[in-house]
Amino acid sequence: MASGEYRLRVRYGKVGRLRWLSHLEVVRALERATRRAGLKYAVTQGFSPHIKIAFGPALPVGTAGENEYYDVWLTRYTGIDEVFKRLVDATAEDLAPTAVGYVPEREVSLAAGITVAVYHVEVEGRDSEVGKVQSALAGIVELGTLTVQHRDKQKVFDLTRSLPEEMRVKEAEGGCTVELTVRMGPEGSLRPELLVRAALSSASLDASVRSTTRVETYFESEGELHTRPL
Amino acid sequence: MTQEDLWPRVEALLGRVERPARYIDREWGAVHKPEAGYRAVFVYPDTYEVGQPNQAIAILYDRLNAVADVAAERAYVPWLDMAALMRENGVPLFSLESCKPVCESDLLGITLPHELSYTNVLEALDLTGIPFRSADRDVSHPLVVGGGPCVYNPEPVAPFFDAILIGEGEDAILEIVAVHREAKNAGVSRTEILTRLAEIPGVYVPSLYTETRDGSGAFKGIEPLGNAPAQITKRVVGDLESVAPPVRGVVPFVDVIHDRFSVEILRGCTRGCRFCQAGMVYRPVRERSADTVVREVMSGLACSGYDEASLTSLSTTDHSQIEEILRRLHRRLEGTGVSVSLPSLRVDAFGVEMAHLVSGGGKKSGLTFAPEAGTQRLRDVINKNVTEEDLLGSVERAFAAGWRRVKLYFMIGLPTETDADVQGIGELVTRTFAVARAATPPSARGSIRVAVSVSTFVPKTQTPFQWEAQIPLDEVRRRQAILRDSMPRKGIDLHWHDAQESFLEGVMARGGREIADVIESAWRGGAKFDAWTEQFRLQRWADAFECCGVDPSAIANRQRTEDEPLPWDHISAGVSRKYLLSERARALGTVTTPDCSFGSCTGCDVCGDLGVEVVLGGERRG
Repeated sequence: MASGEYRLRVRYGKVGRLRWLSHLEVVRALERATRRAGLKYAVTQGFSPHIKIAFGPALPVGTAGENEYYDVWLTRYTGIDEVFKRLVDATAEDLAPTAVGYVPEREVSLAAGITVAVYHVEVEGRDSEVGKVQSALAGIVELGTLTVQHRDKQKVFDLTRSLPEEMRVKEAEGGCTVELTVRMGPEGSLRPELLVRAALSSASLDASVRSTTRVETYFESEGELHTRPL
Repeated sequence: MTQEDLWPRVEALLGRVERPARYIDREWGAVHKPEAGYRAVFVYPDTYEVGQPNQAIAILYDRLNAVADVAAERAYVPWLDMAALMRENGVPLFSLESCKPVCESDLLGITLPHELSYTNVLEALDLTGIPFRSADRDVSHPLVVGGGPCVYNPEPVAPFFDAILIGEGEDAILEIVAVHREAKNAGVSRTEILTRLAEIPGVYVPSLYTETRDGSGAFKGIEPLGNAPAQITKRVVGDLESVAPPVRGVVPFVDVIHDRFSVEILRGCTRGCRFCQAGMVYRPVRERSADTVVREVMSGLACSGYDEASLTSLSTTDHSQIEEILRRLHRRLEGTGVSVSLPSLRVDAFGVEMAHLVSGGGKKSGLTFAPEAGTQRLRDVINKNVTEEDLLGSVERAFAAGWRRVKLYFMIGLPTETDADVQGIGELVTRTFAVARAATPPSARGSIRVAVSVSTFVPKTQTPFQWEAQIPLDEVRRRQAILRDSMPRKGIDLHWHDAQESFLEGVMARGGREIADVIESAWRGGAKFDAWTEQFRLQRWADAFECCGVDPSAIANRQRTEDEPLPWDHISAGVSRKYLLSERARALGTVTTPDCSFGSCTGCDVCGDLGVEVVLGGERRG
C-alpha cells in the first residue's frame, strides 16, 4: 500500500438470483459499484492501470455467500458511514455491502488469510430426514478421504484436515440442512455439496442437494478458527 | 392471460447450463415496471453477450420506459443447452425483467442485425410459441415488429413480421406503441390494427403488399393492396442533439462483447464507399456537439461504473471536434484508470494522431485499418479514397510511436476485380510489413505482427453495387489460392471470412419473399446461430433450397440489369436510384466521388427528400 492510501474492507453478500454469478462476474460488478459510488479509489501502477481491489476466496457459480469480503484502497479518507451509504446506493441489492471498516495496511490479504468457511447445504427428497443424512455423512467421514473428479484431474481431500469440526444436520422445510465447517488451503478447497452428494449417493438415498450457501468466512490464527475479517 | 412468473422454473434449470448469469436479470440499470398496462419485449436474435451491447435496443428501451404505464423489457436467444432444457421442461421464452412469457406481451420487437440471424428469429419465435407467420396470428398474439440494419431488403423475412420499421426508431417506436395501444383498447380487428400501423411513416406492413410475377414465375414487383403507400421511406431523426443517448443503460454482469459505455457521437457517413450499405442507409451525417459528447460520457461513466468509454459511429475520427473531445476526456479521466476507445480509424496521419491521444502514450493494443482493396485502381472503383501512401505513412508513424501490431481489412470479389488486384493485396501487405519493420528498433522487430483479414464481397441493397453478381464459391476459392500464394508468411496472420457464410449472406441480402420458406425449412433442419462459424452447416441450407425449389446462385451470383424490378424497390433509404446508378457508372469508369461533408453536395438526394440535412459541430479535417 502506497502512503496516502486507506485500505477499506467491505463485507457483502452474494445472495438471491446473483448467486448464479461467477467469481469474475462478482469481481467486475463490485469494481463497477465502487466506481459508481464515486469513491476516490487508488489505481494500480503499470501498463494497464486499474482499480486497486482484492477479493477473498472465490465462490462457485450457484453457491450463495452471506459474509464475503473485499478490500479496496482509497486515496481519500471518507467516514465509514458515508462510504457504507454510497456503496449501498451503488450496488445491486443481492450483492449489497453489510458492513465496512478500515483495516491496517500490513494486514494479511483476504485470499491468504481466509482459510475457514461455514456452509449450509440444503438437502431435499424422499430420504432427506436428519437421521438418514447424518448416518450417510458419518459413513463418508469414516473413509477418511474424499476423491473428487474435476474434468480430467483427480483431487483427494483429507477429511480430517478439511473438516476441522463435526458436521451438524438440522431439520429444514422439505428436508434437512447440513451445516459444516471447511478448511481451505493451497491444495484447493473441498466443495461441500460434492461431499454431501457423495454421502447421499454412497448410502443410496433418494435425496439431492437443493442449494449451497457459504454463511461465514473466517481468518484462522493460533488454533482460533472463528475470527471474522471485519 | 396467466402472466405467470416463470422464475422458479427458470432457476431450476440454471445449475445445468453454461453462464447462467445470461438469464437472471437484476443488472444495474434494468428497469422494472410490473404494474404497466402495456408491455413491449425487445428480442435480439443472438445470445445475451452478443445482443446486450446493441445500441438500438438500448435506445428503444430507454425511450419506451420513459412512457407512463408502458414497460419495455429484453429477451435474448438462449444458448443451445438452455433452449434444450426449456423445451424439455415446457418453459417458454421469457423476458428478463418480469420473467413472464414473451408470448403474453403486447409487442414483440425483433432486431435484424445481419442476414445470418434470420434462423434465430424463428428460434426465438418458436420458443415463445407464437406462430411464425403473420398470417397465422390473431389478436391474442403480440404484435411482432422488426427493425434494424437488414430492413432495407425486408422481403426474405417479411411473412414473419406484422410490421417492419424502416429507419431510425427514436420517435417511431413511440408512435407505433401509441397507435397499437389505442387500437387494442378500442377492440378493433387485427386487420384494422395493421392498416392503422401502415399509416405511420416508415412502417411497412408486409401483409398489405403482394408480389406480382410473370407467366414464367419471374419477379415483376411488389404492389400495395388498398391504400398502403407504394413506397416506404426510412425514418430519420433530424438532429441528434434533440434526442439524448441513453445514459442509465443496463450494465451487464456477463462478460459481453463491447463491454463498455458507448456514446454515439455521430450518425451517418458520407465518405461514399460504394460497397458499404451502412454508408448509404444511415445518411445524412449528424454530429453531436463536443459539449454534449463530453457531458454524456462523464455522466454515463458515473452512472454505469464502466472503466472504458467508447465513442461510436461509422467513422468516429471524421467528427469535426474529435480532437477537442479526446483532449477534454483525457484531462477529465486522467488517473482514474478509465480509458477511452475509438472503434474506427482513418487510414491517415490524423487517425494515428487520434489513436495516440487515446492511448495517452501508454498501452498500445493494435491499430486497424481498412484499405479494402490491394490496388489503387480497385480502391478508386469502390471509392475508398485512401492511397497506398496514406496507409504506409500511417503504419510508419504508428510503429515509430510504439505500436507493434496492425490489422488490415480487405475484400475479394469486388466488381471489376482481376487476379492482379488480388495479388496486389499480397504486395501491399509485403510493403506494409517492410515499412513497419524499418520504423521499429531492431530489438523489437520480432514482435511485429500484421493481421490480414479477408472477406468475400457481398453486394448489398441500396448501394451502387446492388446490381452486381457475387462471385461463386469455386471462384472465391480460386482467388483465395492466388492471395495465399502472393502473401508473405513471416509475421503475417492471414484470416479468411467463411466463404460459405458470405454466399448465404448474399442470398439473404437480395432474395425475395420466397426465401422465407427456405429460412423456415433450414430452421426445421436444425439451422440456428448461423453466424457462429462452428454452428454453421451449408448442407442444411442446400437441403432447404432444394426442398423449396429455390436456386440460391440465381440470387447471389447473377448480374441484374439496371431496368429489372428488384424485390426491395418499394423500400427507400432516401438515397435516390438515380444517384446509385450514377455512382455505379462512375465506379465502372474508375472515377471517384468526394465526401459531401467536406465539400459540396454530391446529389444523393437524402437531404432534400427526407427534409433533413448534414449537421456538423464544426469544420471537418479532411
